[in-house]
Amino acid sequence: MLTVENIDVFYGAIHAIKGISFNVNEGEVVALIGANGAGKSTTLKTISGIMHPRNGKITFLDEDITRTEGHKLPAKGLAQVPEGRRIFQQMTVMENLEMGAYIQKKVSAEDFDNVFSHFPRLKERRSQIAGTLSGGEQQMLAMGRALMSRPKLLMLDEPSMGLAPILVEEIFNIIQEFHTSGTTILLVEQNAEMALQIADRAYVLETGKIALSGTGKELSESDEIRKAYLGG
Amino acid sequence: MMTFLNYILSGISLGSIYAIIALGYTMVYGIAKMLNFAHGDVIMVGAYICFFAVSRYSLPPLVGVIAAMAVCTVLGIVVERLAYKPLRAAPSLAVLITAIGVSYFLQNGAQLLWTPNPKVFSSVVGTGRLALFGGQLTVSYVTITTIASCIVIMVALSWFTGNTKMGKAMRACSEDKGAAQLMGINVNSTISVTFAIGSALAAVAGVLLCSAYPTLVPTTGAMPGIKAFTAAVFGGIGSIPGAFLGGLLLGVIEIFAKAYISTQLSDAVVFAVLIIVLLVKPAGLLGKQVSEKV
Repeated sequence: MLTVENIDVFYGAIHAIKGISFNVNEGEVVALIGANGAGKSTTLKTISGIMHPRNGKITFLDEDITRTEGHKLPAKGLAQVPEGRRIFQQMTVMENLEMGAYIQKKVSAEDFDNVFSHFPRLKERRSQIAGTLSGGEQQMLAMGRALMSRPKLLMLDEPSMGLAPILVEEIFNIIQEFHTSGTTILLVEQNAEMALQIADRAYVLETGKIALSGTGKELSESDEIRKAYLGG
Repeated sequence: MMTFLNYILSGISLGSIYAIIALGYTMVYGIAKMLNFAHGDVIMVGAYICFFAVSRYSLPPLVGVIAAMAVCTVLGIVVERLAYKPLRAAPSLAVLITAIGVSYFLQNGAQLLWTPNPKVFSSVVGTGRLALFGGQLTVSYVTITTIASCIVIMVALSWFTGNTKMGKAMRACSEDKGAAQLMGINVNSTISVTFAIGSALAAVAGVLLCSAYPTLVPTTGAMPGIKAFTAAVFGGIGSIPGAFLGGLLLGVIEIFAKAYISTQLSDAVVFAVLIIVLLVKPAGLLGKQVSEKV
């Protein structure tokens, strides 16, 4: 579904991503894990057109999207929940969801119902200004907002960041729900343990390169990973 | 008592013009995060277009207003594309200086095209007056039209940003362009639409301004532009109701200062009030206190 071939990405003079290749097949949950600064978020930003690679190629559903402008990607079925949630703080919960459905000609009630079935709490808070939600609710809103575009591939950037362990659990359960309902998922996480639990396959990034890859199970059992990311 | 009422009315009328200009300033600031100092000169261009349409080509005033709005809309979009869009990633100081450059370019262009000689603008709504309280209080049609236009524009803009898809997309862009893009919103075209709306409003303001103060020269827009910018800051830059409130207050303060303090000092009084307000409320009357994220 998504193929990334040999991309090089630069921040000015800094070579942030050094020839990364990976792919995501339809129906999979794929995780990109790695330490801070390994290039995980940069990789996602490059896929979603916020940045463009200097070399290499990105293909999504058999279409070359390497140089496609970011705002054209949601209509092709690509959605991203950005790092730090980035919800529209001064708009209401409903308006945030409507923005998620921006590419839709008309916002359908079914899309709202679908989001509210995953996140009943958002329904209770639908007229509230988004900035007044708790951190966990804001993460749910960011995820619900992405769901409104009916994505084929949903990319999540650090969904567990800054959340209490109980909420992390909840968020990961919901990601699993998305997956069961047929959405393909590309997950970027520092919380390697949680990510590997739900991932079919995972890639480990280290200083802009892929250091390791394998199934979620293989990686969570690998000594190297245990030492570096899972605390022993 | 009647003189006091009269001052209030002229204050609100002048303030309505400031408010209409300030709305353009504040919308562009809210979305493009830049101060478009050429905004005042768009007013002047609008006034000239209406002047030529009505006085030279004897078109009906309404057609003149529409022509002015159309020309200014195009002007706003073109200026944004040519001058500001290439600087999207540049430091804000570079954009600010460019805006000042555009301002001089428009003023000098107007001098070249239309000469610096003053034109006498004839009011688009005639020079009639409405007598109230048995003639004790008279209100000109220009005043009535100005206040009414300002209210209509304010209501329409609030409705537009609160209820339409485009309006909501504009609010989304003003909060977070990166996230807006992830929603599939074309940020560049949203900025274009904002400039288009702001410039069309500037044309209306130009026509109303020159209907009330009929001397039209290439620098006509400069001072009202700066005053309106002040009004936008006064009310809280980026806030639409703030621009409205700031504009009205500024107009009333200016007229009162002229009437009760000194005509020469009126501008100084206006700016002194601004300084005091900003000392007490740095974000402006209705502005949101934005805490810098670390």
